[in-house]
Amino acid sequence: MSTKVDDPRVIEFDVRTDEMLINMGPQHPSTHGVLRLILRTDGEIVSEVEPHLGYLHRCAEKIGENLTPRQWVPYTDRMDYLAGMNMNLGWALVVEKLLEHDLPEKARHLRVIISEMGRIASHLVGMGAYGLDLGTFSPFLYAFREREKILDLFEKACGARLTYSYLTPGGATGDLPPGWVDECRDFLAQFKPCIPEFHELLTNNQIFIGRTAGIGVMSAATAINYGCTGPVLRGSGVPYDLRFNGEERYTEMYEGYQFDVIVQDPETGKYPDPHLEEFGDDLDYPEIPKEAILGDCWHRFYVRMLEVVQAIRLVEQALDKYESASGDWGQPIKLTQKLPKGEAYLETEAPRGQMGFYLVSTGDSIPWRVRARSSCFCNLSVTSELCRGTLLADVPAIVGSLDVVMGEIDR
Amino acid sequence: MGILAAVNRVYWHEFFFMLFAGISVVFAVCVLLTQNIVRMAFYLVLSLGSTAGLFFLAGAEFVGAMQLMIYVGGTLVLLIFGVMLTAQQRYVKMNTHPTDWVLATIVGGSLLVLLIGAAAGVDSWKDASASKKALAELDVDDARTATPLGLALTGVRVDKLDSDDPALANGQSGYLLPFIIVSVHLLVVLIGAAYMARTKRSATAPVGRAERARLNIMQMEHETDDVVYSASKQSSSSLLDSDQSQAEESTDEAQE
Amino acid sequence: MIGSLVSTGASTVTEFISQNIFGLDDPNWFMYLLCGVIAAVLVLHVIAVGALFFIWAERKIAGRIQDRLGPTRVGGKFGWLQTLADGVKLIAKEDFIPRDADAPLFKIAPYIAFAASFAAFLALPFADGAVAHHVNTAVFFVLAVLGLEVFGVILAGYASGSKWSLFGAMREAAQVVSYEVPLGMCVVIPVFVAGTMNLTTIGEMQAGWFNNWLVFHDPFTFIAAIVYFTCATASVNRAPFDLAEAESELVAGFHTEYSGLRWSFFFMAEYGSMFLVSALASILFFGGWHPPIPIDIWILEAFADPDLVAAGPLKDAVPSLVTFLVMLIGIATLVAKSVIGVVVMMWVRWTFPRLRIDQVMATCLKYCVPIAAVCFVGSMTWETLDLPSMNTINRYEIHEDWSEDLAVSTVGEDGVDPEWPEDENDDESSEVMDGEEAPIEEDSVAVQNGLSLQEGE
Repeated sequence: MSTKVDDPRVIEFDVRTDEMLINMGPQHPSTHGVLRLILRTDGEIVSEVEPHLGYLHRCAEKIGENLTPRQWVPYTDRMDYLAGMNMNLGWALVVEKLLEHDLPEKARHLRVIISEMGRIASHLVGMGAYGLDLGTFSPFLYAFREREKILDLFEKACGARLTYSYLTPGGATGDLPPGWVDECRDFLAQFKPCIPEFHELLTNNQIFIGRTAGIGVMSAATAINYGCTGPVLRGSGVPYDLRFNGEERYTEMYEGYQFDVIVQDPETGKYPDPHLEEFGDDLDYPEIPKEAILGDCWHRFYVRMLEVVQAIRLVEQALDKYESASGDWGQPIKLTQKLPKGEAYLETEAPRGQMGFYLVSTGDSIPWRVRARSSCFCNLSVTSELCRGTLLADVPAIVGSLDVVMGEIDR
Repeated sequence: MGILAAVNRVYWHEFFFMLFAGISVVFAVCVLLTQNIVRMAFYLVLSLGSTAGLFFLAGAEFVGAMQLMIYVGGTLVLLIFGVMLTAQQRYVKMNTHPTDWVLATIVGGSLLVLLIGAAAGVDSWKDASASKKALAELDVDDARTATPLGLALTGVRVDKLDSDDPALANGQSGYLLPFIIVSVHLLVVLIGAAYMARTKRSATAPVGRAERARLNIMQMEHETDDVVYSASKQSSSSLLDSDQSQAEESTDEAQE
Repeated sequence: MIGSLVSTGASTVTEFISQNIFGLDDPNWFMYLLCGVIAAVLVLHVIAVGALFFIWAERKIAGRIQDRLGPTRVGGKFGWLQTLADGVKLIAKEDFIPRDADAPLFKIAPYIAFAASFAAFLALPFADGAVAHHVNTAVFFVLAVLGLEVFGVILAGYASGSKWSLFGAMREAAQVVSYEVPLGMCVVIPVFVAGTMNLTTIGEMQAGWFNNWLVFHDPFTFIAAIVYFTCATASVNRAPFDLAEAESELVAGFHTEYSGLRWSFFFMAEYGSMFLVSALASILFFGGWHPPIPIDIWILEAFADPDLVAAGPLKDAVPSLVTFLVMLIGIATLVAKSVIGVVVMMWVRWTFPRLRIDQVMATCLKYCVPIAAVCFVGSMTWETLDLPSMNTINRYEIHEDWSEDLAVSTVGEDGVDPEWPEDENDDESSEVMDGEEAPIEEDSVAVQNGLSLQEGE
């Protein structure tokens, strides 16, 4: 019964005398969570990066074999804890897929509002923390100032600021309180002029471009081979967004909405027009710097910035549709709802990539197997490829551009 | 008041001379005696810094500042750099062989005897009161500017304008030629050092970050095909293992 | 002020104290010791109180830039005493030395950094007459001693016994040493415009309205001032050049293993150096201790005794209390200008990301050095060709004492360019000064000084 497990503290590969093995983490201001990176460097040049995971593993999937689907919703919050709403959505959709449960219209629009607001909140953290990795502290706080306002809105909606458990199988735990829609509109009106501020501080900043352009270049083939998804994939030029290309049960949520997939057009070399006229005339969108190569850190960062704009568009449309929709917010399913025998798998476009949930049931109310496919796990696996031959100071830049959250990787 | 008059014997000039000279000598001896190479370099810093102190005490502020900037701030930084980077486990301790000690004592000792003999032979240094008188008469302000020095280096000796020699009285002699020769020499050394320390590039190696990035993409695409292929072949080994072996191979390639 | 008089050998104040207070004729060793200690303590207070103030200012400014308040509780609504509270906390911390550390070197490293920063203040004049040690080659001295601060950092990095600290120390040393080159080049520009390395003289030359500041001398000095400020920021390891302390990459670089009072010494050294390079920038480029509007000159003129005005410098013609007041105004002005410089450095720190080491080196070698060299040549050309400038400096005045011993002074009788007479007997020996063989005017400065030169002597 004994299995031989290698002692993770022993590094076995041989080190040449002119190389250094440097350990970054697990407690480290720069890695996004408890991540241990072992770097093999020759002076300043990194030759290999090996990520060691598992410091945040909480057996969520095993626990899912003991709880009903509605009871398991809080565990999804704690996976990608910076985008809890989107995790809730993924789980809710897969349970509804297994149950073949349909939602009223209002619930659908409510989900769009909430998940896109969650996307904005998540990208704000990604952008701010990326600046922090590179040494600029102020954009981090500006991003969090805006995120605080979104979290206040979420707190009014469901009572929690980080671990929401709001979108449950069947709909949501409750409707948006009266006045929420207007407050949301006020927030968006105030948020839009802040975006050029971020461009000035980060995207357009010469030092930032010097730190991110041309660094960590990943080709489309590599991205696909490693299973990277989300902005990481689209930053390499692959036009794949599950809100367009995904399963019907997911894409029908976005039916009737106008928005773009943020990816660079291979012919023109430009990103989709962010529809400046809706934002006012005095907003200037940054040009792509000449040092930036498709697939580098700058492009991944830029894709996230533009996705925020698309998310704002979606929220504005969704608010209007929500107000004029019929039906209720989607009553959650019964706590002890019996699941039909079978399995279901659904991937959604979470802010950090494609988050998939897999549910196998044997006819009981408690599932037989629950599995979460983490987007950041595959995104992180490409680190060694990207960091090879770069300088030591580029490693936080590359890992930051992948925007990983350890909660999702370790589950 | 009585106490102050009674202890009116401390001469600060002598006190500081003793202090600086003592520190120089003591730390120079410590350089000899210590076995830790980094500490050796550090004691040298203190010793040379003290020498700069001696210059300041003599009123030669420019020379003292030069000592600090060139010796301590330049040469010793280089020395400490070299020592610090190579002082890993095996090389920290320096054990001097006894025969080296004997040889060094002979050479150093004979130099010391020579110097002491030469110093003892200077008549004007034998009389202590003469030095006190010279100290009192020293016109301190004059000695401190660097402009006469600079002018001398560029061809005019302004401190000798009232001498008997007609050439010196006209301000004709200076050190311009040696100065120019040394400057050209330093330029040659700089160029030589830059040339020798350049990154060696082979004829086919790519230049520039964009090119390197593109080649990296091509290399990665080539490799990931192998990875995918080998992963599907192997049943037990993980993707990470093959990644590792791939990484090691390519690291070896990159090192060549 | 006391210290400067100590060092010029006249020791007027020590004599004053010993005669009047202690009743002795000659200042004895105790007087010198007392004056030296007072000077040292005054300079120490500049650094210590400066650090106290700057840490508070940094937290407040950082807070405001980041849309928050900063300390607001300790010592009133603005958190004045926050730094003091932090200091008490740091002193009370456990003195922790890692096992692999080289203990004596580990302990001494912060003091070396602090000592280098402190020593550079000894030559810095805060006003005319308010300098600890009046060094004639002050600019060179300050630059030389500033370069010693890197030792503290290298030793700290090495002696911590950790790879991360070693990395940080190596990068810092390479950076500081590289940036000394463009720093030196930028500093030399006001030195040759002024004609002296004496900081007091350079500062005095910029008296008057702000157009007399050396930064407005020609476009090249303007650019040189900006390049100087950039190189100075790199030289004291402030963002965006602060990879030695790069928190997100190396935890805290070379001072990772330091805690408590030892750590705070590094920061006192850093803030002291920041203040020093800002003060140096103020004196060299921005008018020193003279306010932009010449209030100090007006005060001196208001209280000047008309009989004494013609006989010597303006300062001797006023009662000593007024001189003292003007000196205080000068000190306050210089401190204000330096504080503005330090605040600009803080502003830049909280706005920009950090540069990588290769980018730092590229900035130094590819940008700062060539620009500084071009400014050097440009400024020199401007001077030589006597192109117009906003300053009212007399370019032909030599400011060193030794020049009075020369047979010929280069200042004409009314302070304008002397007219060089034609010399018919032009032989090779007249390379130095053309006016050597010219007839000496009766009331030229040389004759007034009692010297004369006849042909053939």
